[in-house]
Amino acid sequence: MIVGALLSTAALGLLVGFGLGPRHSRAWLGATLVATAASLAAALTVLLGFEPTWEWSGSFRIGGELPHLRLDAISALFLALLSVIGGAGAAYSRDYWSDHHYPKSAGRGRFWWSGLVLMMGLVLVEVNGLHFLIAWELFTVSAYFLITLENRGRKVRAAGWLYLAASHVGTLCLFAFFATLASRTGSWELGPQLRDCAALAPLFWLMLAGFGVKAGVFPLHVWLPSAHANAPSHVSAILSGMALKIGVYGIVRFSGWLPTPAQAGWVVIALGAVGALCGIAFAFAQNDLKRLLAYCSVENIGVIMIGLGAALLGATHGDAPWGRLALAGALLHVWNHGLFKALLFFGAGSVLHSTGTRDMSRLGGLWKQMPWTAGLFALGAVAVSGLPPLNGFVSEWTIYLGLFDAGIAHSSVAWATMPVAIVLGMAGALALASFAKAGALTFCGAPRTKLTAHAHEGGAWMIGPMLVLGGACVAIGLAPALLWPLIGRVAGAWNPAWAVADAAPASLFTLGYVHVALALLALVAVLALRRRSTANGLRRGLTWDCAYAAPTARMQYSSGSFAGIASGWFFWLLRPERKVQRPHGPLPESACRVERVPETVLEKLIGPVGEGALRVSTAVRRLQHGRLQSYILYLVAGLAALALLVLLEGTL
Amino acid sequence: MILTILYGILRLALWLLLAPLLPGIINKVKAWVACRRGPPVLQLYYDLARLWKKGVVLSTLASPGFIAAPAVGWVAVVGAAVLLPLGPAGATLGFRGDVLLLIYLLALARFCTVWAALETGSAFEGMGSVREVSYAVLTEAAILAAVLSLCVHSGGLSLAVILTPSAGAGAALLAAGLFTVLLAENCRVPFDDPNTHLELTMIHEAMILDHSGPPLAAILHGASVKLLLFSVLLVQAVLPLGDFSPLVATGVLAGGVLATTVGVGLVESLLARFAFKQVPFLLTLAFLLCLFALLVAWKGGAA
Repeated sequence: MIVGALLSTAALGLLVGFGLGPRHSRAWLGATLVATAASLAAALTVLLGFEPTWEWSGSFRIGGELPHLRLDAISALFLALLSVIGGAGAAYSRDYWSDHHYPKSAGRGRFWWSGLVLMMGLVLVEVNGLHFLIAWELFTVSAYFLITLENRGRKVRAAGWLYLAASHVGTLCLFAFFATLASRTGSWELGPQLRDCAALAPLFWLMLAGFGVKAGVFPLHVWLPSAHANAPSHVSAILSGMALKIGVYGIVRFSGWLPTPAQAGWVVIALGAVGALCGIAFAFAQNDLKRLLAYCSVENIGVIMIGLGAALLGATHGDAPWGRLALAGALLHVWNHGLFKALLFFGAGSVLHSTGTRDMSRLGGLWKQMPWTAGLFALGAVAVSGLPPLNGFVSEWTIYLGLFDAGIAHSSVAWATMPVAIVLGMAGALALASFAKAGALTFCGAPRTKLTAHAHEGGAWMIGPMLVLGGACVAIGLAPALLWPLIGRVAGAWNPAWAVADAAPASLFTLGYVHVALALLALVAVLALRRRSTANGLRRGLTWDCAYAAPTARMQYSSGSFAGIASGWFFWLLRPERKVQRPHGPLPESACRVERVPETVLEKLIGPVGEGALRVSTAVRRLQHGRLQSYILYLVAGLAALALLVLLEGTL
Repeated sequence: MILTILYGILRLALWLLLAPLLPGIINKVKAWVACRRGPPVLQLYYDLARLWKKGVVLSTLASPGFIAAPAVGWVAVVGAAVLLPLGPAGATLGFRGDVLLLIYLLALARFCTVWAALETGSAFEGMGSVREVSYAVLTEAAILAAVLSLCVHSGGLSLAVILTPSAGAGAALLAAGLFTVLLAENCRVPFDDPNTHLELTMIHEAMILDHSGPPLAAILHGASVKLLLFSVLLVQAVLPLGDFSPLVATGVLAGGVLATTVGVGLVESLLARFAFKQVPFLLTLAFLLCLFALLVAWKGGAA
């Protein structure tokens, strides 16, 4: 009852925002914040178990089908994240993409933001296949218009185009998926009843491909880096924090509702491991701050897939408890990644806003002008590297426990989970390297160019949303056991065999206490060390460059040189392009070395396939050239062929 | 309750007070091999006391994070050390999955060191950071393989359980692998040379060039705690301390840590530092050793 009212409020707020958006920025912000608060409340009501599910069906038909909506624990988990990011992004965009700075596109941005949030919410509650597809398509298109808000740049248009094309390849798979589902079962209705029909199992692969494109599962992630890098930062935040998760939602939802083939778990966990390692290898090699964040999303989706794959394996191996642990970790990581990645994209947006560049090799020393952004970005960097005592560690730790337990249980699954655990560890170490690089090169050291000279801190509307997200990261890290009942309810909705209402494992409680103790001790240690240092006397001096008295900013490590060693190990994957002009003679006039990591999967794998398709289509197009005579010839030839066929049939 | 807290504080004090002894022993061994007299065993204690009283010279570029990072890193390393069980005394706070917390606390310490190093904008410290984070990818894989082999062998997931029985048939492999990881993680020869003052050849020392006074003391003390942590971990992982009586086990643990320390000193005396190009190969070798230990543990369990 309450949930229905709250969701109606949310929908109404978003619709009002939809109408007000283009003109009235303040009223739009108010309506959007009210709407997201209402939907957050609805999601939490369901997750906390006050109302297990909410269902509504209409008495009128849309497209020949009765509308049917349902909010259960799985939908609520994603809806809660959508509400937080939708609200935070709307608030952030107030100053970041204001009418003052972008008089042409700000209104459009608000309009499509409401549309995007509304459609994503609709996808989450839709249980009619046809309506799901409609909402899905509208969500895809709204995201396209948001990515291309600043549509004067060629790169932005190219990124938007790539996104649209890739998304529609995914949508095509989903069309096939839902249509086959409807034709096999005789109705568009979705739900857990599908699980009993074993013949539907092969559809899993179609579903995985369709949702995998949206989720950015490696190697279907090709649209992701350029779209995230070129979109306005609040849009990148919701794309990475939430739009990818809608793809994950699809995979979670339908792997729970459909019977799964026996190999499903093996394939998903392998995809996850490959994605985690390759994604972070690409991230480490990037020079563009937002592109680095985008590739890191590929890694985190890989981590979620690892957990989900282990859960599928657990479900097929007698509903093993370690599968439930891995699933809990994956679901928690959905929240965690959404929170810290949105925080990091907001931070990157503030940097871009005040310096005009995303190239880390041109930044540096920004902490002086942007202390809040620097601190919050550092917090996000610790969280995304999966370090204690923040939230990223909690979910990775839970996934590790699942993987380790499968190994200890000596089941055949250990052949997958043990190597994957090692890969996860390596990906974690690379994530640490990437974010030490991203954070420290951008905010620490000396400014590398003059671009940072006029940098300034963002206003309260830009820092506020980041504070909220950072606070959520800290809270989940310090009190993970409180989330266990919520996650347990979602795991129960996914696999009824795991629907046991149990208290959080004792180790999760202990982990929470240890995290709190660590945080407090760290705080005390920092204060004590600062006090001692100032008491002993602080003196400022030049950085000690081994007695070299005139260090310049150009002598610092740049983003490319920082990645040198480790990305050298991945040269077979990254295939960096180098342009080297060596210095000649005693007084060289010029020398340079440019290194770029291309979009290898796109350029080396998808590109040639696309070109081949284009060549075939161009060849076929020659038949259609607008000459009437030839068309008549085609007709005559066609008729003659038909007549011949009929004649032959008669004689036979 | 009060007793537990007192006991915890006692153990913490033991860790904090004993740790600086190890670098002193290593230096004594090196001096002994080279027929020198060498610095006193307690040299690091004197150094720490001296540094704690000294003033600080900060780089003009450094942010408040430059002093905060060593503090957080120190807490992370000491926290990881406290998690470790001490032979018959067991763990103060054993829980399932604490071994992963230990690994990630060490990673947190690494993040802090690297962050503080990059604060200064120095090319040398950048160089050290790059090496540190890159080689960590391989050591992380080796440590995880080692931990997995211990977990599979003992069937548990908490440090107290996995470190009690012997490492079984794979003990030799595990010992070799973990010892290599110890050398790499603590920046000893053949990966790094803690004594050289040629910054181009260093990892850890290059990252802390700009630290001075109390923050440097925190870093040096943290590094010694980390060395003790790895020695204790190595000894407990390889030797079956659980099979001995408490008194003998304590003696074996202490003796093992001493032997490991002397071993580090001997390696340092007899081996030259490797070229940086060879470091990844050596680390891969350590990973493979741990991986084979894992396979042995897996086979042992299946039989």
